[in-house]
Amino acid sequence: MSRNLVSLLNRTSAIGAPTAVELLAAAHAEHGGITDEDVRAVAARTGLPEATVHGVATFYDDLRVPAAARQVRVCTGTACFAAARERHVDALRAGLGLELGEVDDGAGTGLSEAVCLGFCHSAPAVRDGDVVDAGPGAVERVLRGAARAAPEPPARSLLAEPALVRAGTWAGLRRALAAMTPAEVLDEVRAAELLGRGGAGFPAGVKWGFAAGAPGTERVIVANGDEGDPGSYIDKHLMERSPELLLEGMALAGYATGASRGVVLVRSEYPASRPALEAAIAAARAEGLLGADVLGSGFAFEVHVTEGAGSYVVGEETALLACAEGLRGTVSARPPFPAERGLRGLPTVVHNIETLCNVPWIAERGAEAFRAMSPGGTAGSKLVCFNERFARPGVVEVPFGLTVRALCEEAAGGLRDGHAIKAVQIGGPLGGILPAALLDTPFDLAPLAQAGCMVGHGSIVAFDETTSMREVARHLLRFGAHESCGTCFPCRIGLQRAHEAFASGAPVDRARLEELLETLEVASLCAHGGGMPAPIRSLLAHFPDELGLC
Amino acid sequence: MRVSVDGAPVEVPAGATVLEAVRAAGGDVPTLCFDERLSPFGACRLCLVGVDGAPAPVAACTTPCREGMRVDTGDERAARAARAVVELLLSELPAAPEPHTELAALARRLGVGEPRWPGATHEADHDLRHPYLALRHELCISCGRCVRACDEIQGAFALTATGRGFTANVAAGIGAGFRDSACVSCGACADTCPTGAITEISLLDLATEAA
Repeated sequence: MSRNLVSLLNRTSAIGAPTAVELLAAAHAEHGGITDEDVRAVAARTGLPEATVHGVATFYDDLRVPAAARQVRVCTGTACFAAARERHVDALRAGLGLELGEVDDGAGTGLSEAVCLGFCHSAPAVRDGDVVDAGPGAVERVLRGAARAAPEPPARSLLAEPALVRAGTWAGLRRALAAMTPAEVLDEVRAAELLGRGGAGFPAGVKWGFAAGAPGTERVIVANGDEGDPGSYIDKHLMERSPELLLEGMALAGYATGASRGVVLVRSEYPASRPALEAAIAAARAEGLLGADVLGSGFAFEVHVTEGAGSYVVGEETALLACAEGLRGTVSARPPFPAERGLRGLPTVVHNIETLCNVPWIAERGAEAFRAMSPGGTAGSKLVCFNERFARPGVVEVPFGLTVRALCEEAAGGLRDGHAIKAVQIGGPLGGILPAALLDTPFDLAPLAQAGCMVGHGSIVAFDETTSMREVARHLLRFGAHESCGTCFPCRIGLQRAHEAFASGAPVDRARLEELLETLEVASLCAHGGGMPAPIRSLLAHFPDELGLC
Repeated sequence: MRVSVDGAPVEVPAGATVLEAVRAAGGDVPTLCFDERLSPFGACRLCLVGVDGAPAPVAACTTPCREGMRVDTGDERAARAARAVVELLLSELPAAPEPHTELAALARRLGVGEPRWPGATHEADHDLRHPYLALRHELCISCGRCVRACDEIQGAFALTATGRGFTANVAAGIGAGFRDSACVSCGACADTCPTGAITEISLLDLATEAA
């Protein structure tokens, strides 16, 4: 990331001021596209060069694709694919008479795609304006102009005393401020062995230690609400149903590391998340739980929300910080790590939403109780979420260590309408695919890794017996190529070539494909290019006859 | 601090990168997005080397040395990846790069010939309105050297990366070209461009064209 651009920003724009991404998105929402005048105005307001702002406007999906007064966004995520392949997309194209990315100026209607809307429990999903409709009849209702907000199943817990499926009480923060030093809070989180829940599994306590020990007095806590994994709606649930847990976790992280400022970056595909968080922030401020003097303790902590504009890779931490600065959401090589030089050059702790939501429970109940939640497994519990193919989809809090079969059959009731599981993809598009024969694999980091899979962020997407695995490969690689940020060469060109190979209909040369997968794995700059081969490797291992190889 | 490169000890200053250590030891690894005048970028992934303790090769240009580090420039996976990446690069260009360019020289050095990937290539799009600088977008490989040169050497910020994924490219100003940008005609971008996507228009070019 350019240090000069960050200096320019720091001269003109305070942290918390609208970013170039948000200002461009507002202009786009107003007149359906971005003009040169918009770019000049945003450059003047943010202190960024005009060319830089132009670069931002060409990066994000929301800014690149024209929109109309009535914009229909069809979800092409993996849960919608598993439910309907592309039938829902075709029906909307035919019904509206529009191609994806096209606008009918006369009718004032536009059609575009979104990946994903986070209504995977009721796929296929369609967003009409800010209303997300989903499930049977959604497409027909949207075409009639009668979209209705899809209901969301309540979250459940397999644990008697859940850490995450509950309303926030702020008891952890009250206890910490009354009875613990910042170092003691940090030690408690370290002793709890809390691992990052976004997919990488990095120990949170170690990350906090880096930031707490960084030079300077100012630090920032950044909550990664860019839950882009198609098939995942865990963070959406937390941000919209339990925002107090997130805010309390951020305040505790701030107290432990010496940060007085928190930023939540929310993805634009979740129109209800930002309002829910902002309402919770306002309520917490009113009660003295956030602000210049939290609960009269002298500890100051403020949180603000910023919004992305359509990019999967912004979920990667360096890209996330670039987006939160209003810049192109591209990945930067590390070091420097965010703990050393993050948002606006400040030491920064970047955490997934769910990771932060675990912290209040640890502060309230202690490290030992947290580790005891999953006997013999990874410390704590995990939220998983199931797609529409299951009989009882939804967000469920589970201990680590149950088998994937137990989760699929007992927690989610098996598949609906007598269908059978052909395979499940766990943890998003970079996760391996587990065939039905391996469902007895325990749901935990090490055993899933051994099966070529991962816990990832915890989404469980089932493909039923009617699914073509070549179509799954094409679906995943289309997403991978479209979402490549374009920085590193292997991912930028390699995913395009891999997608072309599966989209062509011609036989795929297995030896060449495997060479390409190795290049992506060995040479990519971040987990996007490095991880996209994982599901393709699974398909090669378990479904080679379906892939049309030569 | 002391590190070893392919078994040979070498002394490097604190904060040195693995690439600097390799070069100080008289070794060499291929690079394409690297220019020693600019901050390292880590995009081309050609300078991958093995280092002890790392499960996979790392980019030499963005990895700092640590005391006692053992660097292996002969890692087989890294060598395969470098050749594969250069082949991917050639496959995105509508025509082979001019023989004098850094990319063409690198392809010769690594023994990469005609790319075997069918598929999309960049569409021709030329900005030839500026008196001294020409930009041929289809030759751009998004190495970021011109954008960093404009930022770090000249401070003009006339250039930006654009698009994303396979459609990533560069643009001057608000996409309208060098003439309508903050460009001060310093030529740093053309000087660092490894593919001839940005070139200086010389009096000789103009004379040749006129003839």
